[in-house]
Amino acid sequence: MMFDAIVIGGGVMGCSTALHLARGGMHVAIVDRGPLCREASGVNAGTLTLHMTRAALVPYAMRAWQMWMNADKWLGMGVLAKQAPGLTLAFTEAECALVELRAKARREQGAPIEVITAERARQIEPGLHPGLLKAGYCEIDGFASAYLTGRAFGHALKLAGVDVIENAPVEAIDSNDAGHVVRFAGGREPLHAKRVVLAGGVWIEPMLAWLGVDIPIKVLVNQLIVTERIRPVMRTVLSVANGLLSLKQFANGTVLIGGGWQGEGDRERGGVEARPQNLVGNMRLAAYAVPALAEARIARIWLGLEAETADALPIIGDVPGVDNAYVIGSAHSGYTSGPYMGRIMAQHILGQTPDLPLFEPARLVGLPMPGV
Amino acid sequence: MTNTSLSPPLSLRTNRAVQRGPAVRFVVDGQAVDAFEGESVAAALYAAGMRELRHSPRDDAPRGLFCMMGSCQECLVWVGARKLPSCQVAVAAALEIETLSYREQRIG
Amino acid sequence: MPPQPVDVLVIGAGPAGARAALRAQACGLDVLLVDENHDAGGQVWRPIPPSFERAPGGATSPEARDGDTLRAELRRAGVRCLFGHKLWNVGTSLRADLIGPEVSVSWQPRALIVATGTTERVVPFPGWTLPGVIGLAAATILLKSQNMLPGRRTLVAGAGPLLLAVATGILKAGGEVVAVLDLASQGDWLRTLPSLASRPDLLWQGLQWQARLRAAGVPMLYRHGIQSVKAVGVGFEIRTQRVDASGQPVAHAAAPVLAADAVTVGHGLVPGTDVTRLLRARHRYAVELGGWIADADADGRTSVAGLYIAGDGAGIAGAAAAGAHGELAALACAHDLGRLDATTHARERARLQSSWRTSARFGHAMAGLMALRDGAVAGIAPDTVVCRCEDVTRAEIDAAAHDGARDMNQLKAWTRCGMGPCQGRSCGDVAGALLALHVGSREAAGCFTGRAPLRPVSLAEVAGDYTYADIPIPKAAPL
Repeated sequence: MMFDAIVIGGGVMGCSTALHLARGGMHVAIVDRGPLCREASGVNAGTLTLHMTRAALVPYAMRAWQMWMNADKWLGMGVLAKQAPGLTLAFTEAECALVELRAKARREQGAPIEVITAERARQIEPGLHPGLLKAGYCEIDGFASAYLTGRAFGHALKLAGVDVIENAPVEAIDSNDAGHVVRFAGGREPLHAKRVVLAGGVWIEPMLAWLGVDIPIKVLVNQLIVTERIRPVMRTVLSVANGLLSLKQFANGTVLIGGGWQGEGDRERGGVEARPQNLVGNMRLAAYAVPALAEARIARIWLGLEAETADALPIIGDVPGVDNAYVIGSAHSGYTSGPYMGRIMAQHILGQTPDLPLFEPARLVGLPMPGV
Repeated sequence: MTNTSLSPPLSLRTNRAVQRGPAVRFVVDGQAVDAFEGESVAAALYAAGMRELRHSPRDDAPRGLFCMMGSCQECLVWVGARKLPSCQVAVAAALEIETLSYREQRIG
Repeated sequence: MPPQPVDVLVIGAGPAGARAALRAQACGLDVLLVDENHDAGGQVWRPIPPSFERAPGGATSPEARDGDTLRAELRRAGVRCLFGHKLWNVGTSLRADLIGPEVSVSWQPRALIVATGTTERVVPFPGWTLPGVIGLAAATILLKSQNMLPGRRTLVAGAGPLLLAVATGILKAGGEVVAVLDLASQGDWLRTLPSLASRPDLLWQGLQWQARLRAAGVPMLYRHGIQSVKAVGVGFEIRTQRVDASGQPVAHAAAPVLAADAVTVGHGLVPGTDVTRLLRARHRYAVELGGWIADADADGRTSVAGLYIAGDGAGIAGAAAAGAHGELAALACAHDLGRLDATTHARERARLQSSWRTSARFGHAMAGLMALRDGAVAGIAPDTVVCRCEDVTRAEIDAAAHDGARDMNQLKAWTRCGMGPCQGRSCGDVAGALLALHVGSREAAGCFTGRAPLRPVSLAEVAGDYTYADIPIPKAAPL
C-alpha cells in the first residue's frame, strides 16, 4: 500500500501540512516518535505576536494569526486562542532605539505596529513598571494554549482520513524512483509513500541526513515558567525590546513567562534542566515589567527545543537532490506561523502555487552556522 | 467574612500532653484571633471555627486545610507579600495574615 | 553566590534522614541535613511547636519519646541542620537550591540522600474537598503536634494502621469517634499477625487500641467506606457503603448514614518521588510498597550516580525500618565516596540489613493493608473531583483517555490534572490508577514528569533584590 505522502514529525508544521494535503485529496500518514504536538508545538509559550516574529515572517504570522483565532472553523477544535494587544517594552535608551528599529522593520512587512509613549502604554496596560520609557504597540497580537494543540490536530487529522501513527520512531528512509520506504525502529512494518515530508523541528538535521543531505539546524533550549492562578494583573501580551521576554496571563489566571532564556539540553537528550542564572534573569525581567508578578508563585518550569537555521529563516520546500521529498520547519517562533506554513507547503506539494513564497532549503547547503 | 462551618464554642484544643506557650492574639483579615504562640496558623484558624480558607478555581467550592504537611496547597494564606501554606506558618503575637479571598477583595 | 560545598546533603529529617545524617557524620563526612519543618522528626515523630512543652507527669507516647530522643541525638552529635528551608530545585550535578525564611541558598553536595517520606492518598468521593474533611495524617499532626482535635464528633475512615491510631488518639484527647470505617476486613488484619511476631510491643499496642475503642462503644465497621459526605448545618451527613475485598462498593447493600462534625479519611501513604523524578532516576511501580518508587538497591542507590533514597519514600516499610535504611544509605554513600573501607562497610551493613529486615516485616504488612485497591478506584463516581487544585473530575479524565491520552503527561496537558500548585501530589496516584484502567497498566500510564520547582516558590523568592542593570540580558533576538 502506497501513501501519497508520509509526514514525519507531528508538530504544528507536520500536522498542518498533513491536514491540508488530506483535504487536497491525498492519502496521507503522519508519524511521530511520540504523541502529536508533544515537543515544541505542545510546550511553547503560545505567543501569537508580531513583535517577536522575524520581520521577514510577518506576512506569514499575520495569516497564521487568523487561522489560530478561527481554529474552531478549520481545525474543529480550538486552542483557546485569544486576541490581545501586544506591547514590546523599552526600559533604557538603547532599548528605545531597538523598539523603533524593530517596529519599522515589521511595519515594512505589513505589521500594524506603532511606537507609543509610556503614558499611552500604561493606559493600555496599567500594571507596567513605572520606569517604562517607550513601547511598540500592535493591536492584533494574542496567545494560545499550546498544550491543547495535539488534541485539536489529532481530531482534525483523523476526521480528514489521515493515518495518525504515534509512538513510532522512524530510523531510516530508503528512497528510489518509485518513492520512499519509511523504516521504523523496533520492528514495526515499514510504510511506503510516493512523497515524504520531513517536519521534525530540531530533528530535521538528522532526518535530512537519512536522505544524504547535510544542513545544520541549531538547537535552542528554551526555558518556560508558569505561575499558579493569580488575580488579573495584565491584559496584554508583553515582550521587551531585546526580544528576551514573553509574558501573558491566561483566562485561568496563570501567567506564562518565556523569552528564550537558555537551559541545558540537546537534540539527543532533549531539555535536561534549567540554568539557574537564566531562571533568575527571566524572572527578574518578568517581575520588572509587571511588578505585581513578584508575589506570584511558580507552579512549573520546563524546557522546549526550538530549531534555528544558519540564516535564522525557515526551511520550507524541496529537499535538495531528492525527488518527492520535502522539508518544513525551523522557523523562529514557528508555532505562531505554523498553521499557515503547513498550508503553503501543502499547496506546493499539491502542485499549486503557494500564496506566499517558500524558503528554499538549498540555500542552506554549505552555509555555515554562525558562531560555530 | 461568612463562614458556614463554624464549630460549636467548645475548644478543640486538648491539654493532656502539653503545656502550651503564651496565649497570643494575631490578626486575620483585620480581625483579632486568639491562639497560642507557635501553633500552626492552619490549626489556630481551624480551632477558631474558621475552617473555610479559600475557594477552588473552577467550581468556586469552599476549601480548607487538608494534609497539614505543606503538600496539598489548600490552606494557603497571605503573610505580607508571601503566599504560604498556613500549616507551615507559626502563630506569633505580631502576625498579620490575610485569607486569599479577603486580599482579592481588598486589592481588586 | 556560588553554591556551598558539602560531602552529603540529606533531604528530610524524619527517621530515615536523621539517622542517615548521624551515620554519615560518624563516618567522618561533612553533612548537611535539611527539612522544611522547624525541627527533625518528619511526620511520624513530628516535633511539638517550639513554645510548647511536654506536660510534666503527663504520659508521653512511645512515638513522642522516640522523636525527642532522635532530636536530642542530632543536637549532641552536632549535625549541621538547615530547618525551615524549602527545597525547590535540584540540578543534575545534585546542586540543591533552597529557600529559607529570609534568603535563598544553594549547596553543592557530592552525594544526595533523599529521605522525604510519603504523602497521604485519599481516594476521592463526593464531598471530600469540603472544609472539615481532612486526611488521617493531617489528623495525626493535629493530635500529636498541635494538640488539637479534628472535631468534637469525628468520623474516622479509610484503610491502614493510621485508622486505629487516629481513632484512639481522638479518644485519649477527650473527643468522640462516631465510627471507624475500614476498607479491610478483620481477616485482613488477622493475616498481619505473623509480621508482629518480632514486635510484641506493637501487637500489645494494637490490642489496647481495639479494646479502648470497644470500651468507648465506637462502632468498628469493617469492609465499609465513605460513599459521600454532605455539609449539613455546621456538620456533615456521611453516607457509608459496603465494599468488597477490592474496595469496590457493593450495590444495594444497606450501610448506615452517620452524622459528625469532622471527617478524617486516608487510604494509605504514597512514597514521595518529586526529587527522584526531577533527577530522572529510573522508577518502578510497586503497589504493595505504596506506588511508584525509584528503582534502588537494598542500600538505596538509585540509577543516578550519587543519588540515594531511604525510608518510606523508597517504599513503605515503617518508621523503625526507615532508621536502618537511612544508615544503610549513609554507609553506602560513605563507601562510594571512598571514606569507608569495604570490611567495615560489610560488617555494619550486615548488621543493619538484619535489623531492617526484622523491622520491615511489620512495616510491609501495614503497607499491604493500605495499598491502593483497584475496586476503590473503579468505584469513584464520574462527577467526583479528582484533581483538587484544578477541579478536574473523573469524567474529564475518562474523556481524555477516550480521546487518546495515553500517558500521565498527555492526560495533564489535555485536562490540567496535575497542573496546579500541589503539582500532582494529591491526585497523581489516583489519576494514574484511573488512566491505567484505559491503557492497561500503571507502567503504561507512567508518572507526571518531575519538574522544578519541587514546591511553589514566588518570583520574588527566587529573583531576590535587583535593579534592571542586574538582569543578565544575553544577546538580543534576531531582527
